[in-house]
Amino acid sequence: MATMIEENGPSTHEQSEVSPSSQARQKLEGLLNKNMRIRMTDGRTLVGLFLCTDRDCNVILGSAQEFLKSTDIFSQGEPRVLGLAMIPGHHVVSIEVEADSLEDTQRFGANR
Amino acid sequence: MSSGEVVTMVMKSAVEDDDAGWGLGIPEKMKNNANWVDITHEFKGACKELYLGELLHDKLFGLFEAMSAIEMMDPKMDAGMIGNQVNRKVLNFEQAIKEGAIKVKDLSLPELIGIIDTSFCCLITWLEGHSLAQTVFTCLYVHNPDLIEEPALKAFALGILKVCDIAREKVNKAAVFEEVRNVLQSEDFQAMTYGFKMANNVTDLRVTGMLKDVEDELQRKVKSTRTRQGEQRDPEVEVEHQQFLALFNRIKFTRLLLTALITFTKKETSSVGEAQKLVAQAADLLSAIHSSIQHGIQSQNDTTKGDHPIMMGFEPLVNQRLLPPTFPRYAKIIKREDMVAYFSKLIERIKTVCDVINTTNLHGILDFFCEFSEQSPCVLSRSLLQTTFLIDNKKVFGTHLMQDMIKDALRYFVSPPVLSYKCCLFNNHQAKDYIDSFVTHCSRPFCSLIQIHGHNRARQRDKLGHILEEFATLQDEAEKVDAALHGLLMKLEPQRQHLACLGTWILYHNLRIMVQYLLSGFELELYSMHEYYYIYWYLSEFLYAWLMSTLSRADSSQMAEERIVEEQVKGRSSKKTKKKKKVRPLSKEITMSQAYQNMCAGMYKTMVALDMDGKMRKPQFELDSEQVRYEHRFAPFNSVVTPPPVHYIQFKEMSDLKKYNPPPGSADLYMAASKHFQQAKLILENVPIPDPEVNRILKVAKPNIVVMKLLAGGHKKETKVLPEFDFSAHKYFPVVKII
Repeated sequence: MATMIEENGPSTHEQSEVSPSSQARQKLEGLLNKNMRIRMTDGRTLVGLFLCTDRDCNVILGSAQEFLKSTDIFSQGEPRVLGLAMIPGHHVVSIEVEADSLEDTQRFGANR
Repeated sequence: MSSGEVVTMVMKSAVEDDDAGWGLGIPEKMKNNANWVDITHEFKGACKELYLGELLHDKLFGLFEAMSAIEMMDPKMDAGMIGNQVNRKVLNFEQAIKEGAIKVKDLSLPELIGIIDTSFCCLITWLEGHSLAQTVFTCLYVHNPDLIEEPALKAFALGILKVCDIAREKVNKAAVFEEVRNVLQSEDFQAMTYGFKMANNVTDLRVTGMLKDVEDELQRKVKSTRTRQGEQRDPEVEVEHQQFLALFNRIKFTRLLLTALITFTKKETSSVGEAQKLVAQAADLLSAIHSSIQHGIQSQNDTTKGDHPIMMGFEPLVNQRLLPPTFPRYAKIIKREDMVAYFSKLIERIKTVCDVINTTNLHGILDFFCEFSEQSPCVLSRSLLQTTFLIDNKKVFGTHLMQDMIKDALRYFVSPPVLSYKCCLFNNHQAKDYIDSFVTHCSRPFCSLIQIHGHNRARQRDKLGHILEEFATLQDEAEKVDAALHGLLMKLEPQRQHLACLGTWILYHNLRIMVQYLLSGFELELYSMHEYYYIYWYLSEFLYAWLMSTLSRADSSQMAEERIVEEQVKGRSSKKTKKKKKVRPLSKEITMSQAYQNMCAGMYKTMVALDMDGKMRKPQFELDSEQVRYEHRFAPFNSVVTPPPVHYIQFKEMSDLKKYNPPPGSADLYMAASKHFQQAKLILENVPIPDPEVNRILKVAKPNIVVMKLLAGGHKKETKVLPEFDFSAHKYFPVVKII
């Protein structure tokens, strides 16, 4: 967490016009505040609102709920409420986003 | 309905409890889990395009919010990950029964003994401040004793639940009386039950009855396996006999402990004596329990890989998901070998608590509470003391009115004419009104003062600082009532006085609180070395000086009253009253205050001299100053009118060495300090019956006399090595060590 914040200096990098990086940025911005489901290396799954990320793919989810390992997340009983949670990038196994929430915005990933 | 949902519902009913509000139900739209789209690859790819250190976030989400996020997979923050490191399935009670992982009938004796001992360890760990969920409720059996078929285990499970429930109620109740909300959610106790059922559907009587039945049955078994005369002993039968005995003792212990706690909840004073007997009986079983620990089964898995020890019937992780996301502590259950030692200490403390009812005067009770609290007792015994002291909110031990206790304390301390049967004020309506309303106003602050000593030591200090405000108000009232009573008395009996009687008594308590407030800072290691000198100065030059003059004023007020009574007696009967040298009631306290004052004065001069010799590390006062620290240290005293607070400037003037001619050097100060310690030693050695406190102070005074003499003689004058202050002999006064 700390490293992520400390390194958040003003981004004074020169940005060329329609560079791949600004496209990527737009894609990610389109995902902000969407419901996201992240599987972690230890098998747990977190579901919450996507709030923040960085180059190392550290992700912050808001109102996150934790589900124990299982493909069918609801077979493991009630989720545990975590609130604001940060998942370090190297622990992120898979990222999913709710399909219907994508429809009204840009089609990120859904129609490649 | 999909199979997944069915399982969810089964699970739900398993965890559902009266008030377990942790699961927030699954949002409706998430039930349909078909429309998740995997974007892992794109997402990670897009992230790589971000610059190093750049954060992509919503306008409304800033660094401040990000700071409060918990970090997943960080062992310190992520309570949930513990469960996932363990390579086994965590089962709840019903699941464990279904899978045959746990027995509910036909348990062997070693299994029963092992389960009971582990439960005892959990109970102790809970009492030491861990959560129920991580201790007692790691035992699956207590989750639902109705499912247990083995009678001994069922009775035990219910018994332990009742013990927890009563203990919790006692602790909660003690806190209610303090009228401070949320006090026990603090550092030393977790009253939260997470919605577990505490055997509330069974009466206390039923549970003790069940335990008694099991106990009787076991006793029969113990008898039937006993050696008969001339019989060839079968070693197997002998082991069985031992095991029956071990189980019998454990069940009996549980029953006695539970019965003792139940007895405490009764309202009569006699019940305290009964409880004392019960815990004494329980204590008698402890050595037998200790010597039979090896009969119980031990945990079977390999704990070297960081896993918890697993006992049959226990699942340390069963409640993991009930805990808050960043639950800070992971409960380390105490070892079985330490269990008996803890129980015997607990029982000693409970016995001590029971003794409080033999103390009938308020000052005695106050001293009792102070002494008890000095041993840093556990929260259960502290709470039992509280609830024994004030059974109904107003009655002490359930029988005495607080107001009467206060009047007795006043009589004992200053013998005010208004409370003397021989004085005309005693039956004067107006005087009665004055004194009664004063005493009524006193009762609340005094109750709180006594209850403050039920908190742990750190809390106490905080609260002592606050209660000074209430005592300042009382002081004001006491002075007014004194003046009014004096006015009345002058009209009725001009030869008597009623000056500063009540005021002296309140002032005495004020000073005691202030002294205790300052001294406890040493115990809690709040002061830096360079602060010692003004703390000790304040105590010796100011508080103890005031305390001694207050005590001697009370003493002379007592004597005046005694003279009048004597004269009246003489007037009526011509019999010669023998002039006996009576021991003054306050003499012990005056003596002790003198000793304390000398100790403080000695320490003060030592500190100043050490500073002169450059043997004191002082901070570079850049952002703060000594004045800031000083004012902070004595801030609570600002609410007190008498004695008036000494402000920093005054302190500097009063302690200025330049006012002496010639100003003393460090050698003179060491010598003076040595004399103070010498004086304290003399005073204490003349105490007729020395108590442990006297001996503790002597242990500090004696070496300090020598060290100060050495320093005065120039010993190690050149060394700049800082001296050491060793508080191991006494918590307020250190032995000074020069290295």
